[in-house]
Amino acid sequence: MTRCVWCGQPIRQTVTLSGLWRFGQQRTETVCERCLTRFQRVTADHCPRCGRQQTDRRCCYDCQRWGANSLTNHAVYQYDAAFKAYMQQYKFQGDYALREVLQQELVRALHQEDYDLLVPIPIDAATWQTRGFNQVTGWLTDQPYFQALTVRASHKDQPQSAKTRAERLMTQQPFRLVENAPALLANQRVLLLDDVYTTGRTLRHAAAEIILGGAKAVTSLTLAR
Amino acid sequence: MLSEKKWFGRQISEPPSHGAGRPALVPVGTEWCCQRCHQRVRSTDRLANGTSYCRHCLQMGRLTTRDKLYTIPEPNRFSHRAAATLSWLGTLSPQQQQAAQAVLQHLQRRQNHLLWAVTGAGKTEITFPALAWALAKGWRIAWCSPRVDVCLELAPRLRQAFATTSQVLLYGGQPLPYIYCQLTVCTTHQLLRFQEAFDWIIVDEVDAFPLRSSPMLQMAIQHAQKATGSHLLLTATPGPELQRLVRRRALAVTYVPLRYHCVLLPQIHVQIVWHWRQRLENGRLPAKLVRHVQRYLADGQPFLLFVPHVADLRPIQLALARVGILEAVTVHAGDPKRQEKVLAMRGQRIPFLITTTILERGVTFANVAVIIFGGDDGVFSTAALVQIAGRVGRSAQFPTGEVTCYCHSQTRAVLAAQRMIAQLNQQGKRLGGRIR
Repeated sequence: MTRCVWCGQPIRQTVTLSGLWRFGQQRTETVCERCLTRFQRVTADHCPRCGRQQTDRRCCYDCQRWGANSLTNHAVYQYDAAFKAYMQQYKFQGDYALREVLQQELVRALHQEDYDLLVPIPIDAATWQTRGFNQVTGWLTDQPYFQALTVRASHKDQPQSAKTRAERLMTQQPFRLVENAPALLANQRVLLLDDVYTTGRTLRHAAAEIILGGAKAVTSLTLAR
Repeated sequence: MLSEKKWFGRQISEPPSHGAGRPALVPVGTEWCCQRCHQRVRSTDRLANGTSYCRHCLQMGRLTTRDKLYTIPEPNRFSHRAAATLSWLGTLSPQQQQAAQAVLQHLQRRQNHLLWAVTGAGKTEITFPALAWALAKGWRIAWCSPRVDVCLELAPRLRQAFATTSQVLLYGGQPLPYIYCQLTVCTTHQLLRFQEAFDWIIVDEVDAFPLRSSPMLQMAIQHAQKATGSHLLLTATPGPELQRLVRRRALAVTYVPLRYHCVLLPQIHVQIVWHWRQRLENGRLPAKLVRHVQRYLADGQPFLLFVPHVADLRPIQLALARVGILEAVTVHAGDPKRQEKVLAMRGQRIPFLITTTILERGVTFANVAVIIFGGDDGVFSTAALVQIAGRVGRSAQFPTGEVTCYCHSQTRAVLAAQRMIAQLNQQGKRLGGRIR
């Protein structure tokens, strides 16, 4: 019997006829139904630029403030209490096993995107040492991706999530292209992947750097907004 | 030196000024064993950088193979050793006196001991003489319970009873930092942070969730206790494992079958309501139950209405509203206003509470009646039913009350609960228990 990686409750495996018809090993579920439905999806009524959940489809106030510096972002879930609780355990407590909760959903979301090259947002060396994993690439199963960006050394005084909006918007460019990036980015449609879109500062910094590398277009996908 | 008190008898991942730590995870064959919770780390619980980490005690901060745990052996060096005196002014009943003597004797012999005392017997007060003795000897003592509500309710009582002893209350998400004290009141999870620290551990409500079903927490008690230490288990409803230990004479036991006011336990009355679940799905409650609730409301009798699941709270509240009873207040484990609602109930500002089994133990309301709706549901184990019945008649002014269980049919758990209460009452009668 398997238990849900998040809530620890036992999962009842359902054997279906179509499942039996396919030869080979049955895929075992690792997350229970209830945990999969804890998050609120972003519905069709969202901001066309940043993907924020709204009651209509007009551009949101945050995106109007960004003005010409626009970036099209799609979000899968709303950044609500359930998603915060998930990120708290996965990213901040460092429970790497929880990556499995969103892996299937990310496969589905990536299918709906139109891109040539997937670039996840990197983490800096110090975070890699303490956390032991990149929370974004953890969600990727076997999709090909290219780590085109690295974090510049000696930039980080405090994490983005600990800053206010004004402080976050003041952040200097934290990213740098890797050595062979321009060759691979040239004339490609790049999709940036990140965990949460909050102010959009991080993704815009990343997008600017990718464009400098010669990419044709940059859009982004985040798990939550 | 002063700052090192933080490590006395504890094992934490923060290093002290000097002293080497030991690895937090040690290899056992091809797997790892966590040195904080003593559970096996599965081979799949691995970070991207290749280190393994323990998921069992993740809530207390992640431990990986790169981390170390630091400890300083418990020196029993408390800041003010003013003669620990019992500042409690109450008196014990003859039965309580006897039990207190037994607890003290077992403590002096450093034996593990089970105090099987009925709900409302005054278990806390029974331990006071032994506790005073141990504190006077300069022992370090932990009073722990799997239920945070029990700890929160107990801490002020202990602070009153032992006013000269330094005390600290520990639980997950507490606002105050840790301090080194002679008497620690904590949840059983907090014991994971201790290593051979306590001379005596009192485990209150030892059969409660999650301690009952968690080998990790049971192990935590063993590891938090000194090699020379012992523990005292308190419960009204020991589970089958404990009862087996008692039968095999592997664990000393003292019975207190009578409440301190010498009135017998209220028996559970069963009312059969067929297909209550289907009726509830149609938004209706059994007429019997509605009349019962209306009678209590008319008499001004406060009561608790126990229901099986959190999901049942809302439908029952709506069904009551449909028959004109609008005062219903619901409470469950995840309710952020739980404390306030319980306090409102205790202050008689609300006539009744609809609750899940969260209020089955550790709470006292003077003059309360109990209705169990859906007593045939699996969540109402024998222990749970006996504990729920034990909410009634706890104060000396109101030593009696009604316990009614509405169910589709008699179940084994309900019958066993009735039998357990009857047996305890029979023993109580021999000791001079009265019906009212």
